[in-house]
Parts: sequence; structure tokens; C-alpha cells
Amino acid sequence: MIYKILLTIWMNLIIAAVFLYIEPAAGFPGEVSRILFFHVPMAWVATLAFLLSMIASSVYLITRKVNADFLAQSSAELGFLFCFLATVTGSIFAKATWGSFWNWDPRQTSIVMLLMIYGAYFVLRSAVADHEKRRVFAGVYSILAFCTVPFLVFIVPRITNSLHPEDTLNPAKPGMDIKTLIFFLGSLCAYTGLFVWMLRLKVRMLRIMDKERGRINFHK
Amino acid sequence: MHPTKSGRWITQTVSSTYLTEAVAIWFRDLRSEFRTRYAVNSILMFALTTLVTVSFSIGSFRIEESERPFLYAVLLWIILVFSALSGLSRSFVKEQEAGTMDILKLSARPQAVFLGKLLFNLTMLGVLELIIVPAFILLMGYKIKFPGCFVAMMVTGGLGLGAGTTLVAAMIAQANARGALFSALSFPLLLPLIITAIKGSERAAYGISAAGWPEVKIAAAYAVIMITVSLLLFPLIWEE
Repeated sequence: MIYKILLTIWMNLIIAAVFLYIEPAAGFPGEVSRILFFHVPMAWVATLAFLLSMIASSVYLITRKVNADFLAQSSAELGFLFCFLATVTGSIFAKATWGSFWNWDPRQTSIVMLLMIYGAYFVLRSAVADHEKRRVFAGVYSILAFCTVPFLVFIVPRITNSLHPEDTLNPAKPGMDIKTLIFFLGSLCAYTGLFVWMLRLKVRMLRIMDKERGRINFHK
Repeated sequence: MHPTKSGRWITQTVSSTYLTEAVAIWFRDLRSEFRTRYAVNSILMFALTTLVTVSFSIGSFRIEESERPFLYAVLLWIILVFSALSGLSRSFVKEQEAGTMDILKLSARPQAVFLGKLLFNLTMLGVLELIIVPAFILLMGYKIKFPGCFVAMMVTGGLGLGAGTTLVAAMIAQANARGALFSALSFPLLLPLIITAIKGSERAAYGISAAGWPEVKIAAAYAVIMITVSLLLFPLIWEE
């Protein structure tokens, strides 16, 4: 409860500061640079969630502990949500700066492939009736899909040049002043906190659902 | 069912190795495929239908000379990939439908089963490419500057297709709604390969300096990685 209240205050502070205190970065038309504080943390959380999901899947395949699979499933679902939000916000940014919502920039290509891979992951989960089998299959598919990621990272950039602003992603480069950097990191923490909160809720929900299902089957 | 009557069925003896078991499964699948011709017929008919549609609607003169290497590579790979996706899942689904899955689990080691099925799928893909690629070249008037590189791209692309789909076929055979699921699960895994293969075929047709050899290497690397990872993961889904 206290965690939720602190997180709410922190996120509200960040949002207010980002719009009222920070001035828009030079080199971008109008106010569009403010997307940095929302889009990049979303993409970061999506990456974190997918990585966590892959690791949890591997742990499940080795130890066969059900909790690891709950974590893998919840993490993949939240990762999909944040990945989708990052795609939408990125697309709005693309319209404002490059002139079109979608132009198959390498970043857009790889994010769409990520969405497709995890879309397929959920389809697989819903198509296997047996619980044990479903968990194993999902883990196997998630590792197999992870092995194609290096190809996406190295091959897709060969095809076209990216217009994605890299400077804003890399705080080590000059291009972001210290005030922006502090609030950027603050926003990153806020989004990660939000993710952790949602993840705990989701895992708890799956655990309760599993327990209830067990009880119903027992009473039958 | 009288499995031992014919004397043709795979028995695991002390001296059998992974390779002999894999080859035994491969030959057994080829023999049963030769009798029913279910997979090969469905793949080839799908491929021929798409090829005829493409050829009829585009023909050999619709597309400008300069655009041809790229657009023809795209069309060729769309035909190949979707025909492969229409039939390759048969290798495992037929075991499930005939009820022979459990006996297969008992009679051979998991990796050998995977290798045998992979060899069978690669044979199917080989037949598909041998028929469709020359037909496509003839019907569309596809001019290729570097035939050697083009053939290498087809071979490595086919290897990658087989490598990326065999494990998925084994999974969906044990799931509900098999037909649609196979394409949905395989496509995201195959996307990097498809992009590479299209690029490689285009460059082999253009015939610029390095031709498509880097793409051939990437496709080969993809096939090797997918086969290795599948061999490691296959026992997990097979012994469930």
C-alpha cells in the first residue's frame, strides 16, 4: 500500500516536472522532444520484461517450479503491453518529425518483430490445454525466439539507415543536459517501479487462480 | 496394427547410433510419404496454384527490367515460404493422428527423432524447390547473373526453412487448432531468414561485385543456430 502511494506521488511529480520545468530540447520541432521521458522508459521496460521472461522460462525448464512460469507469463504480458505503448508513442513521434506514422525504420521493424514473436507466444499458450505441457512449450518457444534476435539486431540495420535519434538514448553522449538527464533517469525509475508493481499483482493473481482451480478440481 | 510383421520397424539395439536411428526414421517417413503422398501433394499444389496466380496476373513483361531482381525475389520467396508452411507440419501431425507418437517415443532417442524429421522436411523442401524455382524462372523470365550464388542461396534458404520449422511442428502436433497455429508460430522465427534470402536472391540476380555471398553465409549461420538450439530443446517437448 505504501509502495503504491509513493509510486503515485513520484510519477505525478515526474510528469508535472517534465511538462512544466524542463524546456524542450533544441533541434526538434515544437514540444515533441518531451516524448523522451515516456517513450524511452517504455521501451526500456519492454526490453527488461522480455529478458526477465526469457530467464524465468529457462529457470522453469530447469527446475520445473510453477512460480517461475507465472513470472515468465506475467513478464511477457506486461512486456507486450509496454512494447505496444512504445510502438504507438514512437509512431506519433515519427509523424511529428519524419512526416509519416510508419516507414519501416530499422527500429520500427525490430519492434514489430518483437510484437509478432510475443503475439505468437500467447497464441501458443492459449492453444495447449494441458498445463504442464503449456508451460514447457511456452518456455521452449521463448528461448527459440530469443535466438533469432541477434539476426534482427545485425541484419535489419544492413538494409536501411535508421533515423532514430540515438543521442537521446545514450546519456554518456553530449546532447542531453544534466537537468534533462536527472528527470530522464527519474522517469526511468518511475516506469520500472510501475512495472515491478504490476508484475507482483499479476503473479499474485495467477497464483490465486491456480490455487482456486486446484480446489475446484479437488472438490469434484 | 501389426508393427513387427513387416520387420521394417525401428528397433533400438545396443549398436544403433543417433545417426542410424535418424536415417531409419527418415527412410520410414519417406516410404510412408511415398505411399500416401499427402504432404508432398499439398505442398506442391499450394505452390503451383500460387505460382500460376502470380504468373497469370503479373506475367513476364509487367514489371520494369530494373525492378525485376528485387520484386521477383520477393514473389519467389513468398511462394516458397507459404507453400512450405502449408505442409511441413505434417511430419509430426501425422504421428499424432495415426497414434504412433508413443511408439516412436519408445523406439528412438529424441535427438534421433528430431534429426530424422528434419531430414524428411528438408527432402520435402528440396523437392519443392527443384520444381518451383525452375518453373518460376521459366514463367517469369527471371534473369540471374550469378547462377552459382543463386543456387547456394536457395539451398541455404531451404536449410534455414527446415531448421526453423521442425521444432515448431513438433510442438503444434500436441496442441489444438494445428493448421493455423503452425504458420502463426513459425513466421516470426522465419522473418530474419526471409529478409536475408530475399536480399541474397536479389543481389545474385543483379550481379553486383560481392553478389549475394554474405547473405548465403547469414542464412547458413541461421540454419546452424536453429538446428543446434532445436536439438537441445527437442527432448524437453518430446518427453512431455
